[in-house]
Amino acid sequence: MSPRLLRRAGSALRYLLLSLAAFLSVFPFFWMAIGATNTTADINKGKVSLGSALSANIASFVAAVDVPLILWNSVKIAVFGTALTLLVSSLAGYGFEMFRSKLRERIYAVVLLTLMVPFAALMIPLFMMMASSGLIDTHIAIILPSIASAFIIFYFRQASKAFPRELRDAAKIDGLREWQIFLFIYVPVMRSTYAAAFVIVFMMNWNNYLWPLIVLQSNETKTITLVVASLASAYYPDYGTVMIGTILATLPTLFVFFAMQRQFVQGMLGSVK
Amino acid sequence: MDNLTWRGLGLRAALACAGLMAAAPAFAAEITIWCWDPNFNVAIMREAGQRYTKTHPDVTFNVVDFAKADVEQKLQTALASGTTSALPDIVLIEDYGAQKYLQSFPGAFAPMSGKVDYKGFAPYKVELMTVDGKVYGMPFDSGVTGLFYRRDYLEQAGFKPQDLQDITWDRYIEIGKAVEAKTGKKMTTQELNNGGMTRIIMQSGNGWYFDKKGKLAVNDNAALKGALETQAKMIKAGLIKPATGWNDYVKAFTSGDVASVVTGVWITGTIKAQADQAGKWGIAPIPKLDIPGAVHASNLGGSSWYVLASSKQKEKAIDFLNEVYAKDLDFYQKILTERGAVGSLMAARTGAAYQQADAFFGGDKVWQNFSDWLGKVPAVNYGIFTNELDTAVTANLPALVDGKPVDAVLKAINDQAELQIQ
Repeated sequence: MSPRLLRRAGSALRYLLLSLAAFLSVFPFFWMAIGATNTTADINKGKVSLGSALSANIASFVAAVDVPLILWNSVKIAVFGTALTLLVSSLAGYGFEMFRSKLRERIYAVVLLTLMVPFAALMIPLFMMMASSGLIDTHIAIILPSIASAFIIFYFRQASKAFPRELRDAAKIDGLREWQIFLFIYVPVMRSTYAAAFVIVFMMNWNNYLWPLIVLQSNETKTITLVVASLASAYYPDYGTVMIGTILATLPTLFVFFAMQRQFVQGMLGSVK
Repeated sequence: MDNLTWRGLGLRAALACAGLMAAAPAFAAEITIWCWDPNFNVAIMREAGQRYTKTHPDVTFNVVDFAKADVEQKLQTALASGTTSALPDIVLIEDYGAQKYLQSFPGAFAPMSGKVDYKGFAPYKVELMTVDGKVYGMPFDSGVTGLFYRRDYLEQAGFKPQDLQDITWDRYIEIGKAVEAKTGKKMTTQELNNGGMTRIIMQSGNGWYFDKKGKLAVNDNAALKGALETQAKMIKAGLIKPATGWNDYVKAFTSGDVASVVTGVWITGTIKAQADQAGKWGIAPIPKLDIPGAVHASNLGGSSWYVLASSKQKEKAIDFLNEVYAKDLDFYQKILTERGAVGSLMAARTGAAYQQADAFFGGDKVWQNFSDWLGKVPAVNYGIFTNELDTAVTANLPALVDGKPVDAVLKAINDQAELQIQ
């Protein structure tokens, strides 16, 4: 076989594999959108073409769920939770990198160790803490435990290694205090890191399921993920309606990701070049 | 350690914005209920609540729905952590899991014997919520089983409805062979990795994986042996159209691929949804095992209401359940008509909805029949490891079909189960 032919075969194979991967990742979304326009009976039959039940599905979803309230609950938790997590965890990452000492390295090791504790093991003690603080069935109880995220602290510390210490020294000579350096020098320089962390944390918060499920107790505080799960668990679920819910639950994360795609990729590569 | 400090800081910050984020406060005489199906038990409990509020205006209800697995997860977490403030007043628990909760968390649920007249309910529903002679809970929907069959296919094969009354499983297999020979349709369908059929036949034989005291009883268990052998015979005779998953299973009998199905009464609505098959269906009692104590009645699924002992509204919650679920016959007619729910209160059968003949089933008095069988379902102890045993049974059933002696299969099931539940 000539080298040219080989190259062609290679690229054909590559396209084939990529197409397969693209199909596998896009098809569920496609089917979700199609499903939203079909009746449950059609969905069960495996119909993959557009149907005419979209407005009926939307109507039954709106009738079953207080949509604005539930979306507001999810948005509130995701936005407040993300903002606080970024602030607190990036401060910690900055601190660990800028003020190194033996003791701090040990503390950092402990922080990293918490990454290895599965959430299931923390759940019950955490639940007792929240209950004794009277925070059960509040959104604060969902946001609080996620603010100091070991993973995000780790992420910021690693990214901070590329932050030029000279910048900090120069700012010090110019008379800036530490919090000013953090706020006016570090944050703008690291903005792609923040953007990438924002995408990750926002998605974690938005899709968070187990902990909100344990903490939230009433229909009025539930998030969109909980509502969709409860609709889908009926003995005979109305899949058309469930699909409307999953679309609503998916759109914000898609939107955030596409809006920040460029910064996300940059951030993953490192803010400082 | 580090995490804890952050949390401490967070708590203080949290208090500052508590006003912004706090949920609605609880009302004095509000009863909170957890359950899981918006179209079924949630809707039914809302109806029950409205009825009670009419006569007791001081009591209101907050029915919260989560996914079924989530109700269990939340209940488990709150009970395990001893956080009673996070529990509802009433919770719905699936019958197969009832003993697990009652025995794992003694004192967590309020006994209701003496306050509720349990003699009015199907005995098996009361047995599954009894621990040490005390009855906890209010029996709710039943999964009493029936043999749903296609009149047209059976007739084509030369069988009349009477030919399906009071038959054994062996006779059912003979009929199945004749039906397939004449119509080309398989007699029934089954999800082979689902333990449902084993449970149905076993309970109809007055047995379970556990004895009356809840001890593992697999070896020398005549009912379980009968259930396994019956299924192996059906598979060997080629009577079963195998289904992969629930949707496939439902499709097999709603699309006319099979001539009959043995399952819980709750499938009635699904069958009746096929309007073009009206008049073509019939129901009969399920076939019987040829062992002493076996009957033509069994159960698959079902759930019941439980009042938490820690509830501040405990007395009101019990009174509510008692007034509606143990006394209000009209309520049972309404939930049967609107939601297809068959309750466990025997007296409900005297109501108008229960007496109706159904043209879809060729004029059979469907609900009277199910109500007859409901009272005959053998009362067994579901024990606390039914799911584990299901896994062991489905894993070992193929060996029986391949010709392994049944006692050896029972021993294998027993050994696997002992490993899992020790």
